[in-house]
Amino acid sequence: MQLARVIGTVVATVKTPGLEGIKLLVIQPLDRSLKPTGGQLVAADAIHMAGPGELVYFVAAREAAQAMPDPFVPVDHAIVGIVDAVSLLAGEKP
Amino acid sequence: MKLGRVVGTVISTINAPAFDDRTLLLCDLLDPAGRPAGGYLIAVDTVGAGAGETVLILDEGNSARQVLSAPGAPIRTLVVGIVDAVVEGPTPAATEVPTDTARRKPRR
Repeated sequence: MQLARVIGTVVATVKTPGLEGIKLLVIQPLDRSLKPTGGQLVAADAIHMAGPGELVYFVAAREAAQAMPDPFVPVDHAIVGIVDAVSLLAGEKP
Repeated sequence: MKLGRVVGTVISTINAPAFDDRTLLLCDLLDPAGRPAGGYLIAVDTVGAGAGETVLILDEGNSARQVLSAPGAPIRTLVVGIVDAVVEGPTPAATEVPTDTARRKPRR
């Protein structure tokens, strides 16, 4: 799992069966100092509560679909939690 | 599995139900010599690992769900061990493992 910032939403009316009703968000993966790293992704929102600007963590691969109500959906990245705080060890550089 | 070092925790109250009551550790990935290998993972703790410890990280969903006995959980990354020592090169005799890092005696 990795940290990401939600930066937008995706609206798609024509979707493959199974994706209906799933909220799709654009996320920017972050390194642990919360700086953008790597390309942006579209992730399904498994908690139905994430919105633009929020710091979240997401899971990739098969486990992303496991996070959805129906685990047999074509989803490869899913937001599984909203981050309240990242607490680093004392002396640890962010 | 990967080697990592626990550098912090991630606190979250709104999460998928499978993450309720689980500790999320922020782990830097390490090379075998203990240097940062670049990158990090957020892993669910299963062994009670603490800050600063070198740990063994499992990053595969099927095994993770098996370890947690949680068949439907969207969890793929776990801390599954606390590393006492990493020895590069030929396996040394048990006595050659530095005593300050060898907490457990290997079985004969």
